[in-house]
Amino acid sequence: MKLLTILWALPAAGGLLALLSGRKSREVSLFVAILALIASALPFKDLSALSSLAETGPSWPIGISYSLGLDGLTLGLCALTAFLTIVSLLGSWKQDLSTGFWASFLFLESALMGVFLARDLFFFYIFWEASLIPMFFIIGIWGSDGRKHAAVKFFLFTFFGSLFLLVGLLALITQRYNVTGIWTWDMAQLHGGASGPAALATFAALIVGFGVKVPIVPLHTWLPDAHTEAPAAGSIMLAGLMLKMGVYGILRIAIPAFPELSRSLLPWLGGIAAVNVIYGALCAMAQSDLKRLVAYSSIAHLGFCLLGIFSGTVEGITGGSLQLINHGLTTGALFLMVGFLYERSHRRGLSDFGELAGRAPWLTFFFGFSVFSSIGLPGLNGFVGEFMSLAGMTRALPTLALVGVAGVTLAAAYLLPAYQAVFWGAAGPSSVSSHVDDLDFRERALLWTLSGLMLAIGLFPGPWLRLVAGGLQ
Amino acid sequence: MSEAMSSLVALGPQACLAAGLFCALASGMMIKLPASFYRALVVFVLICAAVLAALGAPQSLPPLGRVDGIGISWQFLFYLGAVPYALSLTDDEVPAALFLGSVLGMALLAVASNLLMLFIGLEFMSLPVYLLVSRGGGGTEHSEEAAVKYFFAGGVAGSLFLLGLALYYAATHSLALVSSQGALAEAGVALMGAAALFKVGAVPLHFWLPDAYEAASPELSGFMSTSLKAAGFLLLMRLIALAPGSAFAASLPALGALTAVYGAVSALRQQSLQRLLAYSSIAHAGYLILGVGAWAAQGALPIGASAIFFYLAAYLFMSNGAFAFLAVSGARTRADLKGYGAAEPLKAAMFGALLLALAGIPPTAGFLAKLLIFWEAVKAGLYWPLAGASLGALLSLGYYLGLIQDMFFEEAGAPLKASKGAGSSVIWACALPAAVLGLAPWLVASLSGVLK
Repeated sequence: MKLLTILWALPAAGGLLALLSGRKSREVSLFVAILALIASALPFKDLSALSSLAETGPSWPIGISYSLGLDGLTLGLCALTAFLTIVSLLGSWKQDLSTGFWASFLFLESALMGVFLARDLFFFYIFWEASLIPMFFIIGIWGSDGRKHAAVKFFLFTFFGSLFLLVGLLALITQRYNVTGIWTWDMAQLHGGASGPAALATFAALIVGFGVKVPIVPLHTWLPDAHTEAPAAGSIMLAGLMLKMGVYGILRIAIPAFPELSRSLLPWLGGIAAVNVIYGALCAMAQSDLKRLVAYSSIAHLGFCLLGIFSGTVEGITGGSLQLINHGLTTGALFLMVGFLYERSHRRGLSDFGELAGRAPWLTFFFGFSVFSSIGLPGLNGFVGEFMSLAGMTRALPTLALVGVAGVTLAAAYLLPAYQAVFWGAAGPSSVSSHVDDLDFRERALLWTLSGLMLAIGLFPGPWLRLVAGGLQ
Repeated sequence: MSEAMSSLVALGPQACLAAGLFCALASGMMIKLPASFYRALVVFVLICAAVLAALGAPQSLPPLGRVDGIGISWQFLFYLGAVPYALSLTDDEVPAALFLGSVLGMALLAVASNLLMLFIGLEFMSLPVYLLVSRGGGGTEHSEEAAVKYFFAGGVAGSLFLLGLALYYAATHSLALVSSQGALAEAGVALMGAAALFKVGAVPLHFWLPDAYEAASPELSGFMSTSLKAAGFLLLMRLIALAPGSAFAASLPALGALTAVYGAVSALRQQSLQRLLAYSSIAHAGYLILGVGAWAAQGALPIGASAIFFYLAAYLFMSNGAFAFLAVSGARTRADLKGYGAAEPLKAAMFGALLLALAGIPPTAGFLAKLLIFWEAVKAGLYWPLAGASLGALLSLGYYLGLIQDMFFEEAGAPLKASKGAGSSVIWACALPAAVLGLAPWLVASLSGVLK
């Protein structure tokens, strides 16, 4: 079997195995997840030979073929998927959860890998949609109080987007058929479509379809509920990876299919991204729930990715792509730590804590580290991605870049007060800080790894930028 | 081989079904045999008919018959969709004979090349089902009432068909299935098509359907929603092929979208599971009608029918599996399902997979089926009806996910009384193909070869 098939098939098979292995499902899942991480690390050996790993099956008469491909961005996202799956599993390690929980994460990993690897729109869509099913169960069964409502809302909203996506994809291949007379679902052969009313409608359908997942304001309302009600591990996967699917789709499918349109619509598309940055930040400022705050901050951060990608410049696209990985690490770490807090105290409110710095110095340290990464402090990963995204936008449309800079400031304005209130501020009468013990070895090890990666990208951005830029020529 | 012999071979499935029907009636008159005998007989006859249909080659049997690719492939839908009900027969020869009679009617419909023959097939397949519905076994006590309602609706459909047939004859002076233009002929096709729309449960001709499906035993509802519905669509397609450019054909996409939305909205409000699945089957008919409309808009070529065929084949597994689950689990209302996932994880997972397939979520068969229909609609440029059908698909998630939510997210209620029988294996046999057939797009490619 070929490596790329293994990348998505191994977690799926592991999920079935975990379902069958009863009490040992936790260990089995972790073992398979580690194998998947090793498999996703193999291509790093020779980054110049990534494209030689592509797999293309025979093409059926309706134009569908099983084809997978690999480039730097895909590889980065696949490795991130494998890594965050392990973080999610280990992050929930001590909780008493049933077989299905552990298996769900492997099924989710499999679907995400498939989304990033697929080079055929049919299989892309299959994986895209299949990722909803495990997440639906993760939120609905293992979430907190409002889980049922949040699970259904999550599924309905994203399925609503998927319908637009499906119609958009069908229209895309049909338009191409009308020109060439050949049915094809191959992404590479659907590049460079013309402009015109039909193309505009198709492009809009694709943007809406992908935009629900990003999420683009005003299609975002599923996100705060889903992230807040999901178990911590589920939030890590949601924010760290599932949101990336939307941006990835725009970058991989929508823009290459209609390059002229996306250039001429730059003010509109960039405007949407800028609204995301500001709206997400303002909403985050108004939150009193720590998890909800981090959820809204994701909307703002994904706005930065979009700013970079829509700018159409090399810096912008490279920075936006790197920011996808950065955001996965940073927000993954933040959700992980909010989960640790919740596990210990069953609270998430900003006013429920205070004076944690003395009780839990490690937690304070790592939380601060991630907060600064999220704000975009130079030397950490967030800075590189945001700086390059904004630099790209400055070349394309300086006004929007200014709005983005304002967004960076706002990020400090919502994250720092929250950090201060929870860890340094005075404990109020309802404070549950006394229930919060400091991190144990397992938790510290996870956070050291995450923080180490943030620092590595921040100090030595060169190789990472070259990696994600490799596939974008 | 003489000409008479060769036509007999071509009509092998029909002869086989008729022989089975005779066998059941004759043995029932003479001695009392256990129900298992009739089960075995019916299943054996269905398998033989399917094998004979597979052996048959396209040929013309004037003046009444014609064996073609669509007719042959649709017969598989009829026979396969009928198996779960055949396995659930628990009585003497009467239901077995009625049931075989209905399948024989469908088989005749499949090879008809003449309007009169189509009518005979239509009535032959419908009449026994009214009686089967009246035998009850479903979620309500009002089976006779439902059967009478169904019977009258069917009677109206039959009269509409005859009226349309008369108009068509007046226009063309022939009863053969030969396409024709002109207002009179189109009016005839529209009236006959209305009869077919009755049978498939298109809004607003669906009013009999929820009552009938709720009153019948779950397995019979499965049969009605798959084989009988497939026959209704075959009838509709045969008629549309007479006048693909008519106003009636052009109205089908909008009608399909309306049906999909109406079925989904109505299903959202149901508490009785059988009624819910009945409305869901109306919604699925909506997508199919949209597919037929798109097929007609592209000239009604036999090769374009593969999307409709695949949808019916996928729905065959999904619907029969879901109704078999109702029969096996004993669940009658949505409240019964609460906590079922914890009590019976395996069966709940199977039902969950079937529900996801019905909702059209990848990688299930239901997804590929919807995709193909949507694709046909895009090809035909039917964007507004497509938007309506998409809305229906979105709304339908409300109840499919709702049922999954009941099973897995809610606390357990009172335990259900499960019934014995072949039902569990039927659920398995339906859920597995329903869950993974979406990964096999090459199947569709080979289908379009068969439907030449």
